[in-house]
Amino acid sequence: MRIGLLTEGGYPYVGGEGGVWCDRLVRGLDRHEFDVYAFSNGQAQEDAGWVELPPQVARVRTAPLWAAEEDGAVHGRRARRRFTEHYGELAAALCTAAEPGAAEKPGAAEADRFANALHGLAELARDEGGLVATLRSEQAVRALEHACRAPGARRAAREARVPDLLTVAGQLERALRPLSLDWYEEDGLGAVDLCHAASGGVAALPGLLARHFFGVPLLVTEYGVRLRTHYLTRPDASPPARTLLAAFHGLLTAETYRTASYLVPGNAHARRWQERCGADRAKLRTIYPGLDAAPFARVGEDRPGDRETREERDKRGKRERTDPHTLVWIGRVEPAKDLVSLLHAFAEVRAAEPGTRLRIVGRTSAPEGEAYLGHCRALAAQLFPDEADGPHAVGRNPVSFEQLGGPGAETTADVHAGATVTVLSSVVEGFPAGLIEAMFCGRATVSTDVGAVVEVIGGTGLVVPPRNPRALAEACVSLLRDPERRARLGAAARARALELFSVEQNVAAFHGLYLETVARTPVRRPVLDGAGDMQPFAAPAEAHVPGHWTEPTPRAVPTWAVETPEPVTETVR
Amino acid sequence: MTDLSELDRGAAPGAADPVKVLLHRHRELCERAVDPLEIAAGLEAHGITDRTAARFRHRDVFSLAEELYARVPRDADAATDGPAAPDTPAREGGGRRSVTVLLLPLLPGALCAASLIALTRTHGQTRLYAAAAGVLAVALALRAALRRGPLALPDHLASRSATGSWTCWLLAYAVLGDGLLRTAIAGGPDGLPDGTAGGDWPLSLAPLLALTLAVAPATWTAGLFLTHARRKLATSRGLEDFAASVRPVLLGAVALFLGTVAALVALCAPFLDTEPVSPAVLALAALLFVARLLTVHGFTHAPRVILVLTAAAQVLAPATVFAARLPGCGALGAPVEALTAAWGPTAVPVLTCGAGALTLLVHASRTLTRASAHLRPEQAR
Repeated sequence: MRIGLLTEGGYPYVGGEGGVWCDRLVRGLDRHEFDVYAFSNGQAQEDAGWVELPPQVARVRTAPLWAAEEDGAVHGRRARRRFTEHYGELAAALCTAAEPGAAEKPGAAEADRFANALHGLAELARDEGGLVATLRSEQAVRALEHACRAPGARRAAREARVPDLLTVAGQLERALRPLSLDWYEEDGLGAVDLCHAASGGVAALPGLLARHFFGVPLLVTEYGVRLRTHYLTRPDASPPARTLLAAFHGLLTAETYRTASYLVPGNAHARRWQERCGADRAKLRTIYPGLDAAPFARVGEDRPGDRETREERDKRGKRERTDPHTLVWIGRVEPAKDLVSLLHAFAEVRAAEPGTRLRIVGRTSAPEGEAYLGHCRALAAQLFPDEADGPHAVGRNPVSFEQLGGPGAETTADVHAGATVTVLSSVVEGFPAGLIEAMFCGRATVSTDVGAVVEVIGGTGLVVPPRNPRALAEACVSLLRDPERRARLGAAARARALELFSVEQNVAAFHGLYLETVARTPVRRPVLDGAGDMQPFAAPAEAHVPGHWTEPTPRAVPTWAVETPEPVTETVR
Repeated sequence: MTDLSELDRGAAPGAADPVKVLLHRHRELCERAVDPLEIAAGLEAHGITDRTAARFRHRDVFSLAEELYARVPRDADAATDGPAAPDTPAREGGGRRSVTVLLLPLLPGALCAASLIALTRTHGQTRLYAAAAGVLAVALALRAALRRGPLALPDHLASRSATGSWTCWLLAYAVLGDGLLRTAIAGGPDGLPDGTAGGDWPLSLAPLLALTLAVAPATWTAGLFLTHARRKLATSRGLEDFAASVRPVLLGAVALFLGTVAALVALCAPFLDTEPVSPAVLALAALLFVARLLTVHGFTHAPRVILVLTAAAQVLAPATVFAARLPGCGALGAPVEALTAAWGPTAVPVLTCGAGALTLLVHASRTLTRASAHLRPEQAR
């Protein structure tokens, strides 16, 4: 199967967002052929180069989204009229659109209007050359103004002034740059069997057009919902401009969800957003992101009690009784992780279980994280005095702050290996990869109920409300005092993680979904050769089984051949 | 991302209307939001989940956001007096930089005047060296002056606008053309120009001085035009509105430029004892100014065409005079000769440059009054 992988600022580039995931997918499915169509999002990224590509990547085509590539196409009068018509339709759809995510879903007529305008512009770009200059021209701004002043436009659109119009036109030009690419050829996106967009938004736009031009099915994976990202990172524009841009992204998202054969949210949160933005539930297939379990295998398999002799068990039991317990927190240090609450909880844990230690292992972090780390260090020094084993020993603080990669903390697996309980104290969290690592290591965990934590942990760890140090402390203490429960929960967590969050399940799930998608798509095979004669073996034998042959066929077939029914996969449907 | 004090702590105990408390806490977010989804995204970034929303008796964050969106007071007039601040042009760097931008355009004129003085004071071989040094210095100064400020070409246009050679043609004609035409009609020239105003093929350096002096007012008036246009852009309601208000600004800028050039030249002329400047130079200055203004705003096609046409017409004028010497072609030179007889040899550049400048001005009054011409580079990119 030939798969067109559409990425934005991701896969073939080093360090791109979601690049690791795409790399694993491509390497995992080595029986298939991949064409990568990638947008880069900056000069720095282009300079950084590509990751090493496996042989199943047949071709890579890239386009910069950050720089306008004018091809100097000059449009004639007729092309300009076509442009004004389609762009005006697009603008009108933006100005009259219902608020995205409002209770009443955008009407079919409106979605059609947007889709038709988009297709019209794409066809124009295919026929007449690049639209970059035209999208930025006075014509576009004028069409936008006309749509904003038309009756029936939303109030915010009517209030748009000239600078707002210019902002919107500029942003639309940016967002519509994929239309001007030369990817939509028979030997480009027309040649793939399936388009897989690695994210929503602009990356899915080529997939929409491939679907329109060639009927290529589209699969959209969203590990973070692009529409939500747009809201959170929107430029500081005036309300009218933001209204129009939000309408554009809302309509584009709705159109993507409508056109895609399957939508793959990465967790329940993304799934809820997709449902909210008009995705059909029947199309949603949650596939959790996979993590490589191999680095954690040694720590995770090293489960006590399986093969050890009675003597060893006694020794271990003694060691556990004498060794101090260790709580481990690992992650990127930032205010949203709420380490303050963790320190307060640890104070209560030490009141109940003296001698317990806390290791805070930070990944490299941003400057604001450094400030927060300093704040936490000061708090720890205030809460916990240094303590020594005896009157002649040098004391140390029960809370240790370490850097990942430092001595004793070379890898996350090493850190988890020394943990009695792993703690997660965030107040804001997306998909907690650190928690999954702890699960792979077979550690009992205590986490706060944020983001996708509950979904990830299932019943294999303790969950407490966020910003509740006492509850966090109580959960930790209960686990520290009960080694058997710890072992049980850890084993269950490891089993759950291996079942749900391994790379293998991720790749297998995508493989299955690819097959399902292609199986439901009618075969597009030319029945006639260039001279208009039947090609031998073009139509399979079962194609002569009388089916619903009265349906109009989209192919260009002569009238005498119109009885050629759809392939058998169609009749199954 | 999050201000920790803003993080949700649930409803205040005993509050009759917990949503109101939430609304108060996230007032800015709610007032800014253009639709409920934006509020939902913001609330989630502040750590509010569906389970938190359940405490406000809502099924999920989305319905909570909808209630917030519906309840936030939205001032009907809030948008009309909205902030125009982001559209006012960014002030240039520090004070030193703005002084540089202001005074740098004066450099070519000053250097040109110095070169002219040097030329009048020197003779023979030294004079040749002085001329070469002067040309080099003025060329470098021009390059530096046009590299920054309102007349600087945006990077993405630099490759597309190759008008330099045609500008050089026009300058060469301004220096040599009138003398050539005069001597050609009189039957000459009998040799190459000897670099003096009194020789067989006289050259006049006054136009060069006037044009290099004109760089400064050109930069200043272009800056003025830009500032005014952006101010109008921020305040006008519609595109027609904007065009109508910018057109007088454009014409005023061109008039101001011409007036300043004439005044500058008139001021400088007595000190350099050059002949008074002709209207031909003013026409050429106007042509080059409008062409540059159009080019830096991204309209490269029309200026190039007009410059090429003007240069061609100017080359054609002496060419017809020479062609008239061929047997049987006497009628070819008649129009130019008649023109020169009536108004002198400057009539040719006045007519050609004037026509070019007028055409470009009419074009500019249509294109530079478009709002899209004033997209700032960071928006356009």
